[in-house]
Amino acid sequence: MTAYTTEELMACAVSRELKDGELGFIGLGTGGRAFIYAVGIPSVAIELAHHRGVDFIAQYGVKLEPVIPEVPGCFTDANLLAWPCRAMILVEDCLDMFRRGMMDWGFVSGAQIDAHGNLNSVCIGDPKRPKVRLVGAIAQTDHCAHAKHTMIIVPHERRVFVERVDFISGLGFGDGPGYRERYQHHGQGPRKVVTNLAVLGFHPESKRMRVESLHPGVTREQVEANTGFRLDFPSPMPVTAAPSPEEVELIRTQIDPRGVWLQAHVR
Amino acid sequence: MREKVMGLREAVALIRDGDSVAIGGHTLRRHPMALIHEIVRQGRRGLKLQGWNNGIDMDLLIGAGCAASVETSYIGISAYGLALNFRRACESGALEVIEHSETTGLDMFRATVMGTSFFPTKTPLGTDLMRTNAHLAEVSCPFTGERFAAVRAAQPDVAILHMHTADRYGNVQLDAQRWNDQSADVLIGKAAQTTIVSVEQIVSDEEINRNSLLTVLPRKFVTAIVEAPYGAHPCACDARYDYDLDEVAKYYEASKAEGTFTAYLDERIRGAADHLAYLERIGVGSLMRLTRTRVARP
Repeated sequence: MTAYTTEELMACAVSRELKDGELGFIGLGTGGRAFIYAVGIPSVAIELAHHRGVDFIAQYGVKLEPVIPEVPGCFTDANLLAWPCRAMILVEDCLDMFRRGMMDWGFVSGAQIDAHGNLNSVCIGDPKRPKVRLVGAIAQTDHCAHAKHTMIIVPHERRVFVERVDFISGLGFGDGPGYRERYQHHGQGPRKVVTNLAVLGFHPESKRMRVESLHPGVTREQVEANTGFRLDFPSPMPVTAAPSPEEVELIRTQIDPRGVWLQAHVR
Repeated sequence: MREKVMGLREAVALIRDGDSVAIGGHTLRRHPMALIHEIVRQGRRGLKLQGWNNGIDMDLLIGAGCAASVETSYIGISAYGLALNFRRACESGALEVIEHSETTGLDMFRATVMGTSFFPTKTPLGTDLMRTNAHLAEVSCPFTGERFAAVRAAQPDVAILHMHTADRYGNVQLDAQRWNDQSADVLIGKAAQTTIVSVEQIVSDEEINRNSLLTVLPRKFVTAIVEAPYGAHPCACDARYDYDLDEVAKYYEASKAEGTFTAYLDERIRGAADHLAYLERIGVGSLMRLTRTRVARP
């Protein structure tokens, strides 16, 4: 059996969803684990897809198709600016590509996600007098409205997985069936939720989150203990495919040899 | 031709208590920090801050007691995460927040620049932005009947920006080496009644004329030009200098409590008579370490 890390497993799980000819948007920023989840895992997933021969365009904000293995070892502004890429586009163009429905994938995260896949990065508690004020919606609202699919990559914790988010800053399926359809967004809503414990998806009718596979060695009880709402589990319970020895080798020797992406060695 | 060069103090005196002030830059990049520091020194109150993607700029003004409200999509301190002065002010109920996404935060300026009173977009439909932000309202397309959100045009009294160079008449340029996110700054600069731009260097008329493709804000849109080298510090200024993570760390530590933050402001900003005195406190060594490209234009 190949030894692999949870982050490598997650990157491989994300990568399997990516198809030829698609375009995906990754934000740049944040540090530590938030960086690994929001930026590192999708980046490695895209590069794995490239190695499979999938022509997938990665867009990092205004930067299109930067050379992923050449990512700077230190994410200072000057280094990011000098990171080779095929195009630097205007910021309104980059956001309008969402609104025109050109974006196939938005890779997103949030401080809270609920049973219907809505995301919150605005506040915990009442928005007028919050218990915790967070950073704000940023482009999450655009990802969730317009990207054909969103891939939500979040840590599996009870305080993250709540029955109802305190503020919908990124629209999932609202309060359930029929909610999203009312607004005729380009986006079809969240496709997958990839965590450190499982891959989850949404029931086609109820639009409620459900488990699709547990990562090797993870138990149902572990997932339930870390989720703040009732989840359905398939029977029999599939196991998330482990990375192949070739995938692990690729990640460690070619895609992320310095651990910038999956270990957040960015300073 | 009217010359528009002003001192920092004189330019910031154009801002009155209670004004709406739109701020350029994004995340830890090219916020007009020299102008912001001077606003703190002059003790402006009740400012209604606007932007599309903010951070230390707004957090500092909030912590210094200058702000009554904020209208933007993000206030955070990049890798550090939450902006703590902002957080305290929200949690105590002292600050009004008008919540946007990145695009609707830009659309409010775009509408003004296009001469319309609103900008149509589907982005916030179905989210709580519609419920909490009075500057967003649902409309339907007269041709297709499709549902849209109308983003109300922003009418900032003042815009403050930090750019690379300008001539004395207010024609503002950015180097070719830059993040293309500057287009947001241009919208903000064009949307305001009064636009104050600090620049790294005021250059000759000939230098501007020879590089007219680099002019992002022609003088018609500009009220005042202020020369402020390292005027974005501790933020980054494209390829010219990087962000000062040591200073941001000091800022973040100080911002953990009101008392320590006031002490930080007193030492770093209010205690410095002007921008050069502030830079002296940062130190030549630090500034040189941050410098990536030394650009001197005639």
